[in-house]
Amino acid sequence: MVRDIRTLLVISLLPLIIMPLMGLSSLYLQQYQQGVVVIIDEDRSWALLGNHNVSSRDLMTKIVDALRASNFIVRVAMNIGDLKNEYYDLKVVILKGFVKNATSFTKVAHVKIIRTVGSVKAYDADRIVQNELAAYSKYISQIKTLYLADKSGLKVSTESVLTPIKVIIGMISPEGVAASPTEEFRSYLARIVAFSLIFVTTPSIAYITDSIIGEKERKTFEAVLATPIPRQALLLGKVLSTSLVGLIAGISDAIGLILFFVLPSLAYGINVLAYLTADLVIIHIVGVYISILASLALVLPAMIRAGSYRSSQAVSLAIISIASIIFFICLYVDIPNLLPLIKYPFYILPYTHVVVMIRNIVLGAPIKALIHLSVALAESAALLMFSVKMFSDERIIYLKT
Amino acid sequence: MRYAVELYNVKKKFGKIAALKGITLKVHEGEVFGLIGPNGAGKTTTLRIIATLVKHDEGYVNVLGYELPKDKEKVRKFISYLPEEASLYHRLTGWENLLYFAMIYAENKDQAHKLAELGAKIAGLSSDALKRRASEYSKGMARRIAVARTLMSRSKLVILDEPTSGLDVFSAVRIREMIKNFAKSLKTTIIISSHNMLEVQYLCDRIALIHEGRIVATDTPENLVKYTNSANLEEAFIKLVGDYHE
Repeated sequence: MVRDIRTLLVISLLPLIIMPLMGLSSLYLQQYQQGVVVIIDEDRSWALLGNHNVSSRDLMTKIVDALRASNFIVRVAMNIGDLKNEYYDLKVVILKGFVKNATSFTKVAHVKIIRTVGSVKAYDADRIVQNELAAYSKYISQIKTLYLADKSGLKVSTESVLTPIKVIIGMISPEGVAASPTEEFRSYLARIVAFSLIFVTTPSIAYITDSIIGEKERKTFEAVLATPIPRQALLLGKVLSTSLVGLIAGISDAIGLILFFVLPSLAYGINVLAYLTADLVIIHIVGVYISILASLALVLPAMIRAGSYRSSQAVSLAIISIASIIFFICLYVDIPNLLPLIKYPFYILPYTHVVVMIRNIVLGAPIKALIHLSVALAESAALLMFSVKMFSDERIIYLKT
Repeated sequence: MRYAVELYNVKKKFGKIAALKGITLKVHEGEVFGLIGPNGAGKTTTLRIIATLVKHDEGYVNVLGYELPKDKEKVRKFISYLPEEASLYHRLTGWENLLYFAMIYAENKDQAHKLAELGAKIAGLSSDALKRRASEYSKGMARRIAVARTLMSRSKLVILDEPTSGLDVFSAVRIREMIKNFAKSLKTTIIISSHNMLEVQYLCDRIALIHEGRIVATDTPENLVKYTNSANLEEAFIKLVGDYHE
């Protein structure tokens, strides 16, 4: 397997090309995917509040300008009937009575937004329109405040009336140490890094299957089994060589995933790479290797005891699925904070300890990280030893392929 | 007389199917012993038990003075085994295939190279051919390397399961010559299975006829032909099997 340089190159280079390409192409194509927005001004009126003008046409112009600046095609109409049967991603209707209600002190004004189901651009357009509406709403609040202040003869700061409470945000790590926004961002990045382990299990399980079942199929295994190689050395040798190839594939996959996030971020002017510190990279490599070992340790006993290639494949698939679930939920869930009844079943699996280890390193708790690293290693080692004990030449020889 | 292999009333079942129904045989040290019988007679199962790969259900098995399955790790140090249809590592060259197995038996690199060189000599392939990947070999060339890697380890007991099965006449003759020359020069005990009567007659000092999981007869090929009043071994086998057919 190691001799096959082409295979090695493919498994290591392909993710490095494909994943960043996915990120960049989706970003690029998104920019060139044109959305259509229809705006209907049913109100077509204006009013003065004090010296300030409130106008439905003003609001419409602001929305149109903002949408066009983001490459949307905007069609403006006076009546719904003008745009019958025309496709749109988003429709904005400034309802009749908008200005009258907006300048009133007892009513609220309405703008209706209709999104087309399944349209990606509808969400983008909606966000832009909502921003413009929020800005115009704030403008109306300010002029209303000034108007009322003028009438009452009070000296008023609009900010004091409209935003009387300001929030000052501070951050602290779970260990009780003051944390910076950079550290908070790194903790998000750690989730992505842990999630990237999702790509590690499949190649490593495929390689160990090839190493044992494949060798049996290629009719080279039986002769080796009759040699003086101890079963422990035979199995652990296979695990070691497989895990090293898996490590190359796993690291490539992970770098590919990181590039998937980094390149688009660079396009938006955010340098995510600056947050990828050496400790995060090192802990990721450790995480990749332990995840590979764990996968091999979990799949080996099943493969050895399986009566056929198919049942061994079914078990492999189940283990890949379990690993994927854990690496995926770590994007959204802090496993250590779950209720004990839910948390401890997760801790049976070495994958959970890998995820928690990465989290602890990023959050500045190296002792806890070391504990989880040790548990993951101990679980994997115990399973590997169990595999050696379970190994049966007869089962392998008579395995149905 | 010391025995290299001793089997007494060995039985083996796979599920409900009885593969061996009580095999008893003794192989003398230094002899070439043939196990002959039709497909499904129990030859491969018997050889796998002797090669420590399959555990028997009942009976007694002693190989080179060690009892199986108890002492299988010890036995493995002194035997080499060529399974039926054994293949080479296709991505390795012929030389690398020999070296790979040599490294298992040798204590150091130098010894491994010497064993592989012996293997190359036994195989009789040119140095150019040895440099080619095994995937480019004909079936005959691949089998010559496979047999050579089994013989080169200088094990006390060599087990060959159908070494010429599926080969053309020329390749089969070549392999038989390799085995014959090796047996003469190193005086190793060899157990060889086959359903080719001519082959065992040519190679073996003694043979055991196996049929439906039982040994029908054990003797020299000449005696078996003589005592059954047959023209050849094939006829002798049919006469003997007829008596045992269930």
